[in-house]
Amino acid sequence: MDLLFGILRFLLATTLLLLMTIPTAFVVIQMELKVIAQMQLRYGPNRVGPWGMFQSTIHGFKFLAKEDHIPDQADRATFTLAPWMVYMAAAMSMLVMPFAPGAIAADFNIGIVYFFAVIGLSVVGLLIAGWASYNKYSLLGGLRSAAQMVSYEIPLTLSVVGVVVLGGTLNFRELIAWQQLHGWMLIWQPVGLGIFYIASLAEINRTPFDMVEADSELVAGPFTEYSGMRFGFFFFAEYVALFIMSGVMTALFFGGWLAPWPFPAQLEGFGGTLYGLLWFFLKSYMFVFVAVWLRATLPRVRVDQLMGMAWKVLLPLAMLNLLVTAGAVLVFNL
Amino acid sequence: MADVRRPRPTAEQLGRRRTLSAPAKAGALVRLLLDRFPGLASTIWTDDDTVEVQIDGAGNVALLGDLRDDPELHFWFLADAAAVDYGVGERFEVVYHLYSDLHPAWLRVRARVDRADPHIPTITGLWEGANFHEREMYDMMGILFDGNRDLRRIFMSPDYRSFPQRRDFLLPDDAADSQAAGVNPLERPETWDLTRLEESRAPGVMAGAGDEP
Amino acid sequence: MTSELRIPDPLELEAAEEGRLRAVAGLPPLKRGGGEYAGFESVGLPDRPPQTEREREVYTLDEGEMLVNMGPQHPSTHGVMRLVIKVRGEVVIDIDPVLGYLHRGIEKLCENATYTTVMTYVDPMDYLSAMHNEHAPAIAFEKLFGIKAPPRAEYIRALVVELNRVFSHGLMMGFLALDMGGLTPILYSFINRDDVVDMLSAISGQRMLFNFFRVGGVNFDTNDEFMSRLGTWRAGVLKTIEMSERILTDNEIFRGRTVGMGVLSGAQAIALGVTGPSLRASGVPFDVRKAHPYSIYPELEFDVITQAGGDVYSRYLQRVAELKQSIHLIDQIVDKMPHGPVQAQVPGIIRPRPGRAYAAVESPRGLYSVYAISDGGPNPYRFRMRDPSFVSLQALPKLMPGRLIADTMAVMASFDPVMGGVDK
Repeated sequence: MDLLFGILRFLLATTLLLLMTIPTAFVVIQMELKVIAQMQLRYGPNRVGPWGMFQSTIHGFKFLAKEDHIPDQADRATFTLAPWMVYMAAAMSMLVMPFAPGAIAADFNIGIVYFFAVIGLSVVGLLIAGWASYNKYSLLGGLRSAAQMVSYEIPLTLSVVGVVVLGGTLNFRELIAWQQLHGWMLIWQPVGLGIFYIASLAEINRTPFDMVEADSELVAGPFTEYSGMRFGFFFFAEYVALFIMSGVMTALFFGGWLAPWPFPAQLEGFGGTLYGLLWFFLKSYMFVFVAVWLRATLPRVRVDQLMGMAWKVLLPLAMLNLLVTAGAVLVFNL
Repeated sequence: MADVRRPRPTAEQLGRRRTLSAPAKAGALVRLLLDRFPGLASTIWTDDDTVEVQIDGAGNVALLGDLRDDPELHFWFLADAAAVDYGVGERFEVVYHLYSDLHPAWLRVRARVDRADPHIPTITGLWEGANFHEREMYDMMGILFDGNRDLRRIFMSPDYRSFPQRRDFLLPDDAADSQAAGVNPLERPETWDLTRLEESRAPGVMAGAGDEP
Repeated sequence: MTSELRIPDPLELEAAEEGRLRAVAGLPPLKRGGGEYAGFESVGLPDRPPQTEREREVYTLDEGEMLVNMGPQHPSTHGVMRLVIKVRGEVVIDIDPVLGYLHRGIEKLCENATYTTVMTYVDPMDYLSAMHNEHAPAIAFEKLFGIKAPPRAEYIRALVVELNRVFSHGLMMGFLALDMGGLTPILYSFINRDDVVDMLSAISGQRMLFNFFRVGGVNFDTNDEFMSRLGTWRAGVLKTIEMSERILTDNEIFRGRTVGMGVLSGAQAIALGVTGPSLRASGVPFDVRKAHPYSIYPELEFDVITQAGGDVYSRYLQRVAELKQSIHLIDQIVDKMPHGPVQAQVPGIIRPRPGRAYAAVESPRGLYSVYAISDGGPNPYRFRMRDPSFVSLQALPKLMPGRLIADTMAVMASFDPVMGGVDK
């Protein structure tokens, strides 16, 4: 009976998650359209729905309605597989996101490890997309993008190790409980926060690190040959990943579902879930807003400068951070 | 379109000579030029702000080099290099405009080029930026610059055979003469497939024999 | 809901169609692959031997090199231009610009046009600095006709020309940022441009191709709407420019991509014929307004600004400084503008004397000059325009080797070419 209940709960949770990804993408895309427009002193979409609310939904339908073709000499199996992999990497990683006290889909004890492992799958998806397109420029673009993502995964995960060492746990829920006791992680790991934020932007190919998909560059990247819903998968996966990274940053450094004040930081029962959801989404979308703000403001970093920054600046800084954190934990018996 | 075939004035009718009682603005430069290059005395001409000399094409590199390197003349800047066609049976001219900060006037050097066999030495050795000018002059007028490493067409397609800015260029004939013409079926009416227009014709329009009204 | 369509390989399709068309036209079929010109298939030119030394140099590929086309349509465009770039990996080895996509034969057209009609033909050459395009022919024709424009006309000319310079340099800031991924400054530049263009349309009736200059003066006098718009614009322009500057000038990413990039020394710039802000950013203080003054510039107070660097960042700084200098000049012009007629009193039918005239002005891109020959008839005998973007483009193949592809856009945007002028 318990087992049945567990299975049902799991199915319900995963269905809800999958259903949630598309509206999340829609909301983030709409934010990007409107926020960037306001920063550029123009209106943005304002015809489709009140205040242009349904513009990104219509974008979604547009992708469904487009002709979907595969280049003749492309490898059909891998060509079809690539968008699924990228999208599934994003969706699967939402499994461990700590939305609210009762609302984690899968409360693994190694949640953090699972998260970073699964996020890395998107690299494989991009490589496959570039290769399977049978297009020299897609291949080059895919390789460049894979190189960028792989290089930035290392500082990303290293910065989180510092958090884990302090918190003493790989479980998201317990980490948030630690933060409730000791204060938010950002005051303990400011350097780690900085490295994580920069590396996460590079990981999801957001400006200023979006050289890969830049439309004023020569190659259009690994998505050149994709059209219709296949491209839609890539497109939505990018925005879902933006939300996910913001959510994880909230969970790791900003207290997850905790309110900014300690009275009360967290409630019990169903009300507690709602209270936690409110704060979680508020904080996550604030970071999404900052990412969109960066896109409106900053020019792009060049590829070699990007890679140089990953290996020569972020990686040594992350290792130093880890050293200092581990040393402090040892010395002060934290 | 105005008649492109009407008789053009001959070379002598264009331009006019003036005596050397020019305003002081250009006076110093004129005296200096006559000093250095006495051969130019017969062709020097001046206006309020321009001094003009005429030479034969073969001597352009020598003269321009001297103008550039002489410390008192110091014409270090090539402002423009243009080509003029004076008509069939007449000559071409390659006209250089130079600037010097020591003299307030523009210096115009007009180099005669034979129209039947238009060759003139290149000045890319003196100013590399003349390359595009010379390519344009070749493309538009057909003047050949000896020694230019990159004398190919710049505006027209590489296999174009005519020279558009010449006086005897007549558009339909010369474009059709080009090797590039006629490859596109739209340029050749015999390839037009008018049968596909049959269904879309409104009744009564372009009615042929046997069409229903 | 999605349908899948198998499309045949486009390269094969193209080759088959081209073969069929050549057979119909009676031309020999093309040979592809191998030969002296092996690199050409990827850039879409027919197989033929290289015509010149330089062509051979560019189109001969060593081990590991590849030819890539940038254009003629590309999103960060200064017009239609094709750059054939020879790359090894990401590093540019050589560049060959292929021009002529926008060639309209303006010089030839002007030989069949009256002197007044020529003003409408020259506008769309360098369409972002249309007033300058008209200024030079106006001066040249006035020399041929022997007319002098009245002082008020000269002041109005200088005013609109400096306004044009302001918005042109503002646009360059925006395009430089856009080519590097910064989406916002271009929109701020267009706010500024919109204001100026509304102003110029109040005085000339047109928003972009002004047709405002006439031989002997300008077409219309200033009116109330123009002056009121000028006042409003002047009050807000420095803030608008500062909005863009705040995003760009001290931005670390922008500086990282522009400082030390595409360094052009002064001697090299002179040899290549580069003029205008790009030349002055390399340290050479050559400004046509000071070097060979025309119009009312002798009466205005301004210095020739130069920068020391010669890199992309210097060229950007130079244009921002000149923009502010132009605003200062506009202030002086508005202060000093005299009253009077705006067109010279000339007899109804006037013919120019046979002769030659040369006039050069300082356009936002450099020295723009017109060489006009008149034979006494109603049309110019030869009308030659020297466009600054055309000549500055030669600097690109000299500066790019050794850099990455991504820098091509930055360097090109720093020279601010406009293809309308390049291709005439």
